[in-house]
Amino acid sequence: MTDVLLLAAETLEPFAGEPSALVQNSWLIVVLPAISALLITVFGKNMPWKGAEIGIATLAAMWIMAVMVGWETFTNPLYHYEAALNWSPLGGGFVMELGMLVNGLTGMMFVLVTTVSLMVHIYSKEYMHGEERFTYFFAMLSLFTFSMLVLVIANNTLQAVVGWELVGLCSYLLIGFYWKEKPNSDAANKAFLTTKFADIGLIVGVIILSAGVAGLGGDFATTPFNIDLTNRAAVAGALPTGAIVGGMLLIFLGCVAKSGQMPLHVWLPDAMAGPTPVSALIHAATMVTAGIFLLARLYPVIAQSLAVMNTLAIVGTITLFLAGFVAFVQDDIKKVLAYSTVSQLGYMMAALGVGSYTAGIFHLFTHGFFKALLFLGSGSLIHAVHSNNMSDMGGMRKFMPHTYWTFIVGTLALAGFPLTAGFFSKDEILVGAQIWADNGIWTGNLVYWVGLAGAMVTTFYMGRAIFLIFFGEHRGLSHHGDDGHGHDPEGVTHDEHAEDHEVIAHATDEVQMAVDEDGTERPVPAGGAGGGDHHGEPHESGGFMLTALVFLAIASFPVGFTGGFLWTNVGGSAEQNFETWTATETITHTQYPFLDDYHAWGEVVDGELVYEKKDEAYADDAHAEDDGHAEETEHEEEAAGEIVALGSPLAAASEEGGVSNYVLHGAPVFHSDVFILALLGFLLATGAAFAIYGRGKPDRDPTLHMGPLTTVLVEKYYLDTIGYKAIVVPVRDHVAKWASYSSNDGKYSIDSVVAGVGVVTKQVANSTYRTLDQKIIDGGINGAAFSAAWWSDKLKRVQSGDVQRYAGALVAGTVVLVLVIALTVN
Amino acid sequence: MFSTDAGWVLTVAVFLPAVGAAVLAAMPSGNDRLVKWTAVGLTGISFAWVSLLALSFDYDNGGVLQFETIVPWIDAIDARYHIGIDGISMPLFFLTYLLTFLCAIYTTKIIPAPGKPKGFLSLMLLLQTGMAGTFIAFDMVLFFIFWEIVLVPMFFMIGMWGGPRREYASVKFFLYTLFGSVFMLIAFLAIYFQATAAGIANPWDIVELTNAGVLGSRTFQLWAFAGIFLGFAIKVPMWPFHTWLPDAHTEAPTVGSVLLAGVLLKMGTYGFIRIALPILPDGAAAFAPWIGVLAVIGIIYGSLACLAQTQVKRLIAFSSVGHMGFVMLGIAAMNEQGIQAALYGNIAHGVVTGLLFFLAGSLKERYHTYEIAEIGGGMLTKMPKYGVLFTYAAVASLGLPGLAGFWGEFSAMWAAISPGGSLATDYQGLYIALVVGAALGTVLTAGYFLWLLQRVNLGTPPKQWADEKLQDIMAVEYVSWVPLALIILIMGIFPVVVFGVQNDAVNNLVSAFTV
Repeated sequence: MTDVLLLAAETLEPFAGEPSALVQNSWLIVVLPAISALLITVFGKNMPWKGAEIGIATLAAMWIMAVMVGWETFTNPLYHYEAALNWSPLGGGFVMELGMLVNGLTGMMFVLVTTVSLMVHIYSKEYMHGEERFTYFFAMLSLFTFSMLVLVIANNTLQAVVGWELVGLCSYLLIGFYWKEKPNSDAANKAFLTTKFADIGLIVGVIILSAGVAGLGGDFATTPFNIDLTNRAAVAGALPTGAIVGGMLLIFLGCVAKSGQMPLHVWLPDAMAGPTPVSALIHAATMVTAGIFLLARLYPVIAQSLAVMNTLAIVGTITLFLAGFVAFVQDDIKKVLAYSTVSQLGYMMAALGVGSYTAGIFHLFTHGFFKALLFLGSGSLIHAVHSNNMSDMGGMRKFMPHTYWTFIVGTLALAGFPLTAGFFSKDEILVGAQIWADNGIWTGNLVYWVGLAGAMVTTFYMGRAIFLIFFGEHRGLSHHGDDGHGHDPEGVTHDEHAEDHEVIAHATDEVQMAVDEDGTERPVPAGGAGGGDHHGEPHESGGFMLTALVFLAIASFPVGFTGGFLWTNVGGSAEQNFETWTATETITHTQYPFLDDYHAWGEVVDGELVYEKKDEAYADDAHAEDDGHAEETEHEEEAAGEIVALGSPLAAASEEGGVSNYVLHGAPVFHSDVFILALLGFLLATGAAFAIYGRGKPDRDPTLHMGPLTTVLVEKYYLDTIGYKAIVVPVRDHVAKWASYSSNDGKYSIDSVVAGVGVVTKQVANSTYRTLDQKIIDGGINGAAFSAAWWSDKLKRVQSGDVQRYAGALVAGTVVLVLVIALTVN
Repeated sequence: MFSTDAGWVLTVAVFLPAVGAAVLAAMPSGNDRLVKWTAVGLTGISFAWVSLLALSFDYDNGGVLQFETIVPWIDAIDARYHIGIDGISMPLFFLTYLLTFLCAIYTTKIIPAPGKPKGFLSLMLLLQTGMAGTFIAFDMVLFFIFWEIVLVPMFFMIGMWGGPRREYASVKFFLYTLFGSVFMLIAFLAIYFQATAAGIANPWDIVELTNAGVLGSRTFQLWAFAGIFLGFAIKVPMWPFHTWLPDAHTEAPTVGSVLLAGVLLKMGTYGFIRIALPILPDGAAAFAPWIGVLAVIGIIYGSLACLAQTQVKRLIAFSSVGHMGFVMLGIAAMNEQGIQAALYGNIAHGVVTGLLFFLAGSLKERYHTYEIAEIGGGMLTKMPKYGVLFTYAAVASLGLPGLAGFWGEFSAMWAAISPGGSLATDYQGLYIALVVGAALGTVLTAGYFLWLLQRVNLGTPPKQWADEKLQDIMAVEYVSWVPLALIILIMGIFPVVVFGVQNDAVNNLVSAFTV
């Protein structure tokens, strides 16, 4: 720590104004895309643009509204508006709400989701042109946007679960968009089932958390899923530890899969089987951030437990670091970006784990823009060369100048080049990690150093991609892509690149069985060939696609300013920045019980929250509330004396070396150390990438010749294989068969017990008949036999075997019985 | 509109189908078309009647018995004709009439071999009276009679119009259920004598028994509950008493399967809620953890068995074991939320699985097989609308929020985390494990349904079917399926349509037996 963190000097007061009519009706933003989806389904096929116009127009309207809501929440710090309907009683006095919670976090997500979705809609109009299920595609895009916004606006966790599962379904349907090919539907299944598996955590976590809230009585018991009440209860220190730790760790498990954290990220790279605009919208910018978003929503609860925070930090750090390396050995540009997404999601998760609430969601926000840009850029390239593979590209800057510069912008932002959006947000994560380290918690240092290293990894693989794609000579299509065009049989001469491919091909062979069964892998090109392409030179994309690219490229800059240290220098105010935008009243009062100077914000008495007078409380109880879990800090000083401006938690700045027991860190300031290290890392990694790939594709790609390391990376740390062989196969092919056999199908099944009872009964009956009846009783009364013969003669006529007569007799008999019963009633 | 005091309205509703059965049976054979459409008319009239009844129902007093009739019936044994309907019975009662009506419509076009609609449809109508009566009987003798009436028509529907192993399946269905009923009857008798001894005025009366507080000693409660448990658990069916179900479903004609899954199974869970829990609360509390364990085993085991199935219909049959496990988990929670969840799950499963059985049946009409491997995929290209509806039903069944299946499952798990009475203190750990196990079941459920969709819907059709013209959804199928599809959506978006109706009745019921 070299800089003093200066927080907003002014007191941040909770929003007390009247929400605008737009905010009060912001549920419209959510409902519009649902209507759009319906309209597209019904009328789309008969319209000139086959439904795309409905989607684009709806999204444009939503975008305007979302930006206005975003602006209102931005200009009014600690904005809070909540409204809910009683959706349904759940029995026992519990009520399920259908509600909306509009605060800065909601506004931020509104802006992100609608912007990216609008751009993807516009882009898809051109990109998906001529697709067989074009209209269906647009309906699904709208449905997805609806589902995502249901999650974003939810004022309770149950509604969030609804949105969460619905985005999962949309993701499944869109990954499997090209469902005629099995690998694609395999990828869709893998995505749905991996996330569904982790949803055990989400569901049980939500349930456990709500049970903890319900136990507080009063309003808490009526609406136990309410997010704001849950957060308030947590900040008041009223939630039982079991509910906090158990509930949040389980919810976190759900987020691990949804937000692509290791080891449950395995579905995300495979999800690239979907159309590229889908990858941009769902699998980069919005849906995959749902986990981060949900954790941010419940951040005051997370902050109550060091165990939970450390788990987030560790898993996030592992993810951000390891995922990036896999991108080194990818040839498919979408896979590079997919692993990059995983790695960036790791940053966000790690940020949340080291108390950087603002930085985590700031990175979520900026990343959404530039990663969508990169994916759409890759789509533009794929569109032009009919291949996902970078080995088929090269020299593209000549053919696609606009795609080129927009891609560069996205890459710089992703790599954290100074003054880009990604620079500011990643910077803030590192600064937050430093502050955490100063609080004496080791994960702070972990995230800081690994985060710095991870930034270099990011820069290197993106540099590699840039040089392979845009520089050097155009290599052309060696192995035709999805559409079957551009294949040149004469051109199949192994060039010097073949060696690289063989490395991949060999490694792939080892998992061939798993891959074939599981189909998670798209075919890796087995050979390279020089430039035969019937299409001639690749050409730049058209107006719709470029509009989206240019818009996102331009947007990638300003989105980073609000949260960066230059904000006040470009006309922003310290009281209105990204931090104040996404802060909530609860967040400003959230303190870490495991740090010094903890003080709960109020308490729950008989189901009611009672807020204490903060000012006196801080002075009196700053140490009394210390629960002893606090980590030893290196700078243990008389903390109570350091709380500067009482009356505003935001203003309670941690001075240098002091413990910062607040989630908010204050307006960003320039950190020369972070800046210099980050810049050095960038230059180093870029230099390395240039040295290797600067003159086009090298004869021998060093990332593919790192021996066992390459193998491990190509195998994606074997996680996919392990998941398939250790879970899918045993369950599907063994345990399931056993269940079926032991139920009905097998020789020694549960059913055989039932059958056995039947057989035994029959035998008992038979022997009773033979011995008891025939020999003993019947032997005594022989004469009865004659009468029996007479009766059986008569009765056998009834036994005609005509089923309909049986049924008729039965019905008649029963009806008679029923009528007799009915008549005897009166 | 009817007055809610008009007990005769309910009596008419229950016996209209039986009269209809007699009318059909009396019709001359030969004119199958006339018979079929008469059946549609009869079930339509019943459905309209019940719809009117449902509209007249006072939902603000859903906790009170409405359309009640109490008259002496068999004085010798103190049995009375006591019927009535409250918020708990209403959704199940309505579903019974709707499903039968839709089944009659479906049968106008599709009737299993050997045809003979007269017998088939009169049996179905008789079945309807039995099912409907079970849900509104408040005298245990009357309840038992309706309960047993159901067995006979279903036995013949499976045994005559079923698949290749129909005789085996129908006998097994009949005897197994009857086996359970015997123990149930003994338990009923035990309750009767105990209640007589305790001085209850009408010892068969479910309402009086419910309000009488704890009956008999703990030992009595345990034994009586055990007997009732066997009867109801076989019907539900709970693991490990479920083995009749896959066989019955596999062999049953489509309409039989729809009614079996849609209504018959619910009689078991309804019985638990209406009779076993309120009358024998101590026995129920003692059994609850075991019921919970069996329920969760059923969820996981049933889902696993689904993964191994090679036939569409048998797969859906096994899926019922899993889904009814969620219903039983709600019951095992022994609190208001749990009972709400169970009753909601009942309706949701009835509608969703009813639709799935319809779809499976019509699949066989087209492909002439239930074997997944023989269908071979690509249905979405052969019959796009059919494929979409199939996906819809499957997704509803795997518990997607926004559709019916989710709320029953979620609220059952949610209820089980804080079980009622002393269960929360005595068995908290067990119940948390049950919730996790049930959640694991939802993953397996998603697994087998997505795999089913992949193998049936997606991909390209195999050579065998490539040039075959397969009929997409027919008009008659639209008419019988769209109502179910709509209810699935409405229940998903507005769960209040079921939760709200039941809420007061459930709260009353639970407060009657929890102290």
